[in-house]
Amino acid sequence: MTVYSLFSFLLALAVTLWSSPVSASSDYHEQLFLQPLPQSSLLASFNFRGNTSQQSFDNQHFQYFPRALGQILQHAHTKELHLRFSTGRWDAESWGPRPWNGSKEGGTGVELWAWIDAADDEEAFAKWITLTQSLSGLFCASLNFVDSTRTTRPVVSFEPTGDHPKVDGLHLLHGTLPGEVVCTENLTPFLKLLPCKGKAGISTLFDGHKLFDAAWQSMSVDMRPICPSDGDCIVQIEQTVDMVLDIERSKRPRSNPIPRPVPNEQLLCDTSKPYNSHDTCYPLEKASGNAWSLQEVFGRTLNGVCPLADSDEQQSVCLRVPHERQVFHSEGAVEQKKADGFTRCFSLSSSQPFDLSIPEQAVQTEVALEEPVLHAERTIVGHGQERGGMRIIFGNPSKTTDVDFILFESLPWYLRPYIHTLQATITGPDGVPREVPASELVTGTFYRPAIDRERGTQLELALSVPAASTVTLTYDFEKAILRYNEYPPDANRGFNVAPAVIRILNAPDSAPIYIRSTSLLLPLPTPDFSMPYNVIILTSTVIALAFGTVFNILVRRVVSVDEAAALGAQSLKGRILGKLVAIRDRIKKKETKVE
Amino acid sequence: MTSKNGDHGSPQTSSTLKADPKPSAQRVPPPETPEAIQTRFRVIAAFWAVIIFLGFPIWWKTTSIYRAHLPIQEMADWADGKTCRPVFPLEIHVAAPTMQLPESQHLVRTTQHALDDLNEFAAHHLRLKLTNDTETSTAQGIDNTPITGSMMDDAPDTALTVRVVAQEGLATPRSELRADTTQLDIFYPPSQVPIPSSSNPPLSVFIAEELQRLYSEEKATIAYILSGGAAGRDSESISRRLRRSMKYADTYHLSFSLFTPGSAPSSWDIEAAVQEYLSPLLHAFGPISNFTIDTQVQLYATFSPMAPPPVYDETESAWTLKKEDLSAFINAAEWPLNPSIGNGPTLNFILYVPDPSQSPMVVKENRASSWIVPQWGGVFLLNPPLEQAGQSGSQTNPGHITQESLRPAFMTFSHQLLTLLGTPTTPASLPLRLQSLIRVRAATLLLSASSTMGSLARLTESLAAIPIPATVASSVSTTLAQLSSTCSHLREGRFGAALTSARIAETEAERSFFEKSMVGQVYFPDEHKVAVYLPLLGPIGVPLLVSLMKELKRLVAGWKARRRSTA
Repeated sequence: MTVYSLFSFLLALAVTLWSSPVSASSDYHEQLFLQPLPQSSLLASFNFRGNTSQQSFDNQHFQYFPRALGQILQHAHTKELHLRFSTGRWDAESWGPRPWNGSKEGGTGVELWAWIDAADDEEAFAKWITLTQSLSGLFCASLNFVDSTRTTRPVVSFEPTGDHPKVDGLHLLHGTLPGEVVCTENLTPFLKLLPCKGKAGISTLFDGHKLFDAAWQSMSVDMRPICPSDGDCIVQIEQTVDMVLDIERSKRPRSNPIPRPVPNEQLLCDTSKPYNSHDTCYPLEKASGNAWSLQEVFGRTLNGVCPLADSDEQQSVCLRVPHERQVFHSEGAVEQKKADGFTRCFSLSSSQPFDLSIPEQAVQTEVALEEPVLHAERTIVGHGQERGGMRIIFGNPSKTTDVDFILFESLPWYLRPYIHTLQATITGPDGVPREVPASELVTGTFYRPAIDRERGTQLELALSVPAASTVTLTYDFEKAILRYNEYPPDANRGFNVAPAVIRILNAPDSAPIYIRSTSLLLPLPTPDFSMPYNVIILTSTVIALAFGTVFNILVRRVVSVDEAAALGAQSLKGRILGKLVAIRDRIKKKETKVE
Repeated sequence: MTSKNGDHGSPQTSSTLKADPKPSAQRVPPPETPEAIQTRFRVIAAFWAVIIFLGFPIWWKTTSIYRAHLPIQEMADWADGKTCRPVFPLEIHVAAPTMQLPESQHLVRTTQHALDDLNEFAAHHLRLKLTNDTETSTAQGIDNTPITGSMMDDAPDTALTVRVVAQEGLATPRSELRADTTQLDIFYPPSQVPIPSSSNPPLSVFIAEELQRLYSEEKATIAYILSGGAAGRDSESISRRLRRSMKYADTYHLSFSLFTPGSAPSSWDIEAAVQEYLSPLLHAFGPISNFTIDTQVQLYATFSPMAPPPVYDETESAWTLKKEDLSAFINAAEWPLNPSIGNGPTLNFILYVPDPSQSPMVVKENRASSWIVPQWGGVFLLNPPLEQAGQSGSQTNPGHITQESLRPAFMTFSHQLLTLLGTPTTPASLPLRLQSLIRVRAATLLLSASSTMGSLARLTESLAAIPIPATVASSVSTTLAQLSSTCSHLREGRFGAALTSARIAETEAERSFFEKSMVGQVYFPDEHKVAVYLPLLGPIGVPLLVSLMKELKRLVAGWKARRRSTA
């Protein structure tokens, strides 16, 4: 890993900024990081951080900390909070490792975990429910659906990132909503939490249309106390928005968003491939990269700086492209190139709008992307409505080092795993898969089985993948049959299963690396929902039929056929028939008279 | 089946068949044996017995809803004011250290007479009582909090201490109300000591008029509340004042927000300002309500696009807001003014620092810089002196607001807070105003809890399908008990204790009225029940009913035939 990495730069930046909180006890800081990624993508990573002293936080004097969130946290006795809103999938094969080492992203949908100060588990859960209900209102998200079945208490997967004076009273609770659709209604409250409210500084670039059109995006809110060894404790709120935009797609005007094919003469074809005829083309990515500007990609320009940001941190926009690439920027800003040969940062003028423009240009050097430490993929296998299986594939690309990590799965109760069927297959560098007992790879297990309708399965596995190998873990599960009223309105779509969280332990520095798999869709046996009424009608009919038969046999009198005819004349039916015959006869008589 | 359908009305068959005049070739079945008829009767009776004695009770048991017994009549009586007529006897201590005992007794007696003559509202009356230990009672006046004082003994609260002191060099009596205690000093020229023979001494008249004046606003307010808002003297101003004030609560959340459309000022000396300007007032309110305080700074808070922008007024050389546009001043959609978490309402106090380009900003009609938003909070426009910013020469707001410049704002906020909490505007003494507030609040709570009881009674009467859980019944009984204890506390002049009881009564009444499980069944219409029951009851019920009717017809016919044969 000799290649200098963007992400370790981000991390180093973050670490240095976090480690010096004493000098700026109630400051505010914001930064935007831009990097073009392969396949004409652009990573934009926004970071906002505000500090407030613990004392004014406790007394509810809010300046950089949003009042609404602060009050919720105090009311729910929450000491540390992490909230994530994510959509899309990070394409690790093309884009490399995740920004912030994955520590600022969540699984698809909404993910929330918090350390709550409480005397016992029950009290902690009650406060957790208060917290989710309140956050649900604040962020316009369905967080109030995080009930006991979606709440887990991870043991080894998460560590508090803040400094807590007393750890023994803290309870970690974790909840996910994999089916939640993150959209603009979540962005608006997110922006309201910022001191500059999207009116000044880098937050002016946020546009819900672009943000939620991204190939991958993740919004995060983190709150934690930081207590330096010397000085008073502070409470820090950090908000980040990371997104990968498709440059081509973002550049399309909103009035005319339909993609048009590239004209034939402008097509760049891969000539190294064999062609049968001249009318085909394997398109090739442009070597010169895409031309783009902030205005084109985000639909607006950056409007000055947020004046609250500390004055020595004026370089609020950084761009990572090779130095030889031309970058035009608007007047008033000052460009500063960093020594690593790839990063340049801009000091913005407080009054003028800022725009960046990168023309198309063929360059020799490329920003090298680091290989991710681990590849992970999780799928549901099997068929039928009764049983299925889970398959998780881990790939270790490194030639030399093993990877130790913790796999954390929280499964809904209606997916009942059979842990005894846990099997491992390892494919070494030779490419030959061989089955090994799972215990050979799993060094530790924490398993908390589900209780129907009360809690989900929680499974934490400590695993190790040898160098240059691929490990496939499989286990079987059974699908439960739900009650009629437990199905959602779109039951035939399937049920979301939360992504697995992978925490890599042997990271080079102490900061953990997190990877999240994609969320899964579990098809459950789904009834026809007119069923209850059909059942009512059918059983009623059957009972009525049986009852009628029995009742008639008991009550009715049995006579022979010719006797019945005699009796029939006396019945209501017989009398009506007789009348009808009489009327018919009279009409016939009249007709004969007329003739 | 159809062939067997023929034997309807079996008992008649034999007789009618015989009467058939047509000589038919058809064979008539033999008449049924009495055993068969008897068996059929038993079968049908057995079916109906199962239905009536087993099916119906089970159905009733499983589908009925639990309705706890409520004392409907008692609740309605409270709501109609039949149970309790609130009275407010105020005990006023009179101390006359410079007078002889018979003189002072006579003074008290004549003053009481004069007061009774002046008073036209019977529910609220002042009772004078002579005390000698003036010094101790006045010393208690400051921190003798009304509630704790009355909790300890059953004696009525002392509303006021009148201290009658002789002073040389006065032509007429003079009164002086101390602003920080509940003491009224009356100074009189020694020549005016009432002679025991005089029936209407001028000093008594003077004291009576003073006391009457002191309590006139409270009296009018209570009269207005008890009459249910009927027009009376000053009813317009009283109703306006009551409309502005918040509903009573145990805890109020005070939220102070600094809003500015630009980036400055971004900090303020709020902690010191709250400590200095507001804490004493909140401490004085301690016996009535608790308060929590939170503050926030919100930058880039722009006006709503719908709101009419301020207009520059040349003559005033200020930016002005029209009075009728003030309701649109607060941009509720964007300004984060969400209520605080926890029980109790939130009072919002907004300090708005206008943009330098729009400074100073005032209200057009009266150049005021603050106003009250009824039942919500208050707004103060702060126009700090502008600073020259650097080389460009443009003016900016200061980045920080000092405690001293917050002073006028917090004076206004204190005043707004008193108004929003419903404190009467007179008399000048704050403890007296707070005592008056206790009585007004007790009266309001008593009436509102009673009317909630009435509404609950009407609701449960009119909606027969809603369940009434046992918790509601227990809440109702607590409310009624607390209401009657409020009433008796009021009658005996223990207003602090009355307020405590009324608070409990109000909370319990609200809890019983807003019980969640009571609304559930309302949305389950009867059509659904028909849809569920009909497929089963139709095919089963019809044969059962028809057979029952036939059987009854046969019995009636048999009974008639028997009577005819006996007759």
